[in-house]
Amino acid sequence: MSLSPVEGAARAEMEPAADPVKPDEQGIVGRSPGQLAWARLRRDRTAMVSGVVLVLFVVLALAAPLISKLYGVGPNEQFQQLLDGNGMPLGYVGGITGDHWFGLEPRLGRDIFIRMIYGMRTSLFIAFAAALVTTAIGVAAGILAGFLGGIVDTVISWITDVALALPFLIFALAVVPTVGLRFYGPREEVPPAFQVTVLIGIFAAFGWTSTARLVRGQVISLREREFVEAARASGAGLGHMLFRQLLPNLWAPILVAFSLAVPSYITGEAALSFLGIGILEPTADFGRMIFQSIPYLQTDPAYVFFPGVTIFILVLAFNLLGDALRDALDPKSSR
Amino acid sequence: MRLKRAAATGGALALLVVMGACSENKGTDGGSGENRVQSGSIATDPKDSMGPAAEVPGAAKGGTFRVIRETKISHLDPQRVYSFAGLMNAPLYSRFLTTFKDDGSGKVTLVGDLAETPGTDVNKDCKVWEFKIKDGVKFEDGSAITSKEIAYGIARSFDPDLTGGPTYLQEWLANDPQYDTKWNFKANKTSLPPGLTAPDAKTLKFEFAKPHCDLPFAASLPYTAPLKADKDTGVNLDNQPFSSGPYKITKNTAGVELVMERNENWDPKTDPVRHAYPDKIVWNYGPDAEAGANRVISDNGDDQTALAWNGVPSALVARVTGDATLKDRSVRGQTPSLWRLTINTQRVTDLSVRQALNYAIDRDGFIKAYGGEASAKAVTTLMPPSTIGWESYDAYPAGPSGNVEKAKELLAGKTPELVLGISDDSPELATQLKANLEKAGFKITVKTIPTDAKLDETSKKNNPYDLWTDQWAADWPSGAAILPVLFDGRTIKAESNSNTSYVNSDEINKEFDRILAMPAGEQGKEWAKLDKRIMTELAPAVPLFVEQGYYLHGSKVGGIYLSSIFGYPAFTNVYVKQ
Repeated sequence: MSLSPVEGAARAEMEPAADPVKPDEQGIVGRSPGQLAWARLRRDRTAMVSGVVLVLFVVLALAAPLISKLYGVGPNEQFQQLLDGNGMPLGYVGGITGDHWFGLEPRLGRDIFIRMIYGMRTSLFIAFAAALVTTAIGVAAGILAGFLGGIVDTVISWITDVALALPFLIFALAVVPTVGLRFYGPREEVPPAFQVTVLIGIFAAFGWTSTARLVRGQVISLREREFVEAARASGAGLGHMLFRQLLPNLWAPILVAFSLAVPSYITGEAALSFLGIGILEPTADFGRMIFQSIPYLQTDPAYVFFPGVTIFILVLAFNLLGDALRDALDPKSSR
Repeated sequence: MRLKRAAATGGALALLVVMGACSENKGTDGGSGENRVQSGSIATDPKDSMGPAAEVPGAAKGGTFRVIRETKISHLDPQRVYSFAGLMNAPLYSRFLTTFKDDGSGKVTLVGDLAETPGTDVNKDCKVWEFKIKDGVKFEDGSAITSKEIAYGIARSFDPDLTGGPTYLQEWLANDPQYDTKWNFKANKTSLPPGLTAPDAKTLKFEFAKPHCDLPFAASLPYTAPLKADKDTGVNLDNQPFSSGPYKITKNTAGVELVMERNENWDPKTDPVRHAYPDKIVWNYGPDAEAGANRVISDNGDDQTALAWNGVPSALVARVTGDATLKDRSVRGQTPSLWRLTINTQRVTDLSVRQALNYAIDRDGFIKAYGGEASAKAVTTLMPPSTIGWESYDAYPAGPSGNVEKAKELLAGKTPELVLGISDDSPELATQLKANLEKAGFKITVKTIPTDAKLDETSKKNNPYDLWTDQWAADWPSGAAILPVLFDGRTIKAESNSNTSYVNSDEINKEFDRILAMPAGEQGKEWAKLDKRIMTELAPAVPLFVEQGYYLHGSKVGGIYLSSIFGYPAFTNVYVKQ
């Protein structure tokens, strides 16, 4: 883990002929580490398949309102007339018909397909936003601590340790329900956008520590290198040192950390909604959908199957892509 | 290669799931049938109050009957019992002044249990009541039960440490809701509360400041169980009650099990209702509703003689109703627990808005969202059908799915903005109500309330909500235990109100007083009339549904019926098939 991906990439650049799959036809062409990584990624079938799956999911999620219009069903529309007296969907496999591709939810009779599309949008938005925020905070904290050292490093490391020591779930369970009360009166609705912001904030407050530690370690190993010495000798300012000299050499580990953070936030958000403190009814959400479907395992397995399989594929694809990205950026860390 | 195998496994899994759900759902045959209308009477002939109870056909003595329940029974001390599980279990180890002769059909007769008759109204003004105690009734140690021990039992219910039990008798005797300030049990252990006397070993007398014609009903609750003063272990009685009934507690491990075995000193000849067929009754705590139901469905070993107390969870209903072999092992019926959508009349002051809510409500959809017809049955009255004298009416006829047009007409273009408070464990009910009412032109804001705080929050007079769901299950099937409690405006206080609609109409209040002064046997029809009048004139709530009980028991259990009073499985007739 502590191998420097920059170092690995740099060596690969020096030995392009060692690449066994790609025959060297056009002679030695100068290629950047990024191009090399991209070429390696292209050759990885798992990465390509999971990448395509992800793009598909993201497009579906972004186009949710459009899909809803084409499909002709809204996410909160109820079809209770298609349920029997016990609130179970009529017909085959949880009410699958040409109008309702994945069937209907028991009790409320909402369309599972369109709620999954909207739920995906909620999940992916929260996960991406949280990953972006945590990566930004983590990189800033890590780079400062690593480069400046001394008292700044000590303080930032302390804060990191404290944040790591706080139990995330207990904190979330205590904070999330009360934040709404703080900002909204007893007769005002808490808008879904606020719930989403709170969730992103909670993830940001706890998620930045691993990135910060990773970046700090990388910076410590880089700051004694010749190019940094050279820049310092030329009288470069702090900003220049951090963002022009160090950051470009850190993209690889940051990218890997980011791509692995997204799936963990998808499951994290689902877990919070599962516990009833995430996104509330009636906003569509994966975690809550799975939570609500579990009691129906025996009586309406289709209700459990579709959201369960979708979140499984989504998270698996993200994790596989993250792994492949790490392999591509850091070929030395063989599995 | 690996990928192919994974795909094959995944495909097979998907196929399995699809096949498992492949039978077509063509709909259901309806819920648990007709409204069971209650008819109740009070036995005047002492012969009705004598035992032994008539034999149950097919019943046999012996064996161990088990009850599977998720959590332990909150209280065993008869003076503190008030939960449904406790109320159904208490008759096994204690006897009361009066009790209901019941077979689950809805025809109940109030008979004397320890008393020879269900009370004598001495001056015909419901203020002085006299009970004669039966001969031959004994405690588990063989000593005789006299009026002194029953009076002591009632006296100790005044102890503020012994929380949890009903408080009707205490409030009536003290003529004050703060009864424990009127009479201090701890300082007067050898005397009796004001108005309660035991002139001789066979007589118990109540004297009230105000008429209480419902006393014979109120005396059927477990707080009239007798206790010897020297057997009173205070709060510890909750672990090991001193038995006066057919069983005594032989083992009580909190949260694990409760074992009751035969009390040889109980004489069936004195008891008009209890049979006590099994030698042993055991409560097993732990499994949740789903696990309990699944255990009883699979019917293995000890579970053959078990009942799943937590009932059939609504997610399992489709499976249980679809399985014909479970039909004769299931017990279904209505409970007295009525759900209504309470309207806070302090905030929603416009009667036409309240009436529009009544027209707009989609009961059918709400019941589906709640769990379906197996667990709920629509009502349009404020009293449940199991109330004595109940009559069906619909003050705002709009069909099972509501009449949105009629509601819009009443609103006349207004779009009232209402805040719906909902407990956070059932958000789907709010989703349903919001969608339903917004179709009629209301603007609904949903506020979730933590489940355990909901009752406290909504029973505060100045709470911020306009609408919320309330439940009420009366302690005896009389309108007197429902309408005055829920709609008498003179009882409104700052906190813990039962009148959560906060209505206060002088005319209706006068009606309460008039009917309450009538003999208990004649009140039934009057309550039904007043029920309709309250709905028509005040529309303080939208009646939603009455909960339906749905229980499963093992193949070797017989004699289980749902109590006509509480709607939960009763154990007086239970037997184990040999």
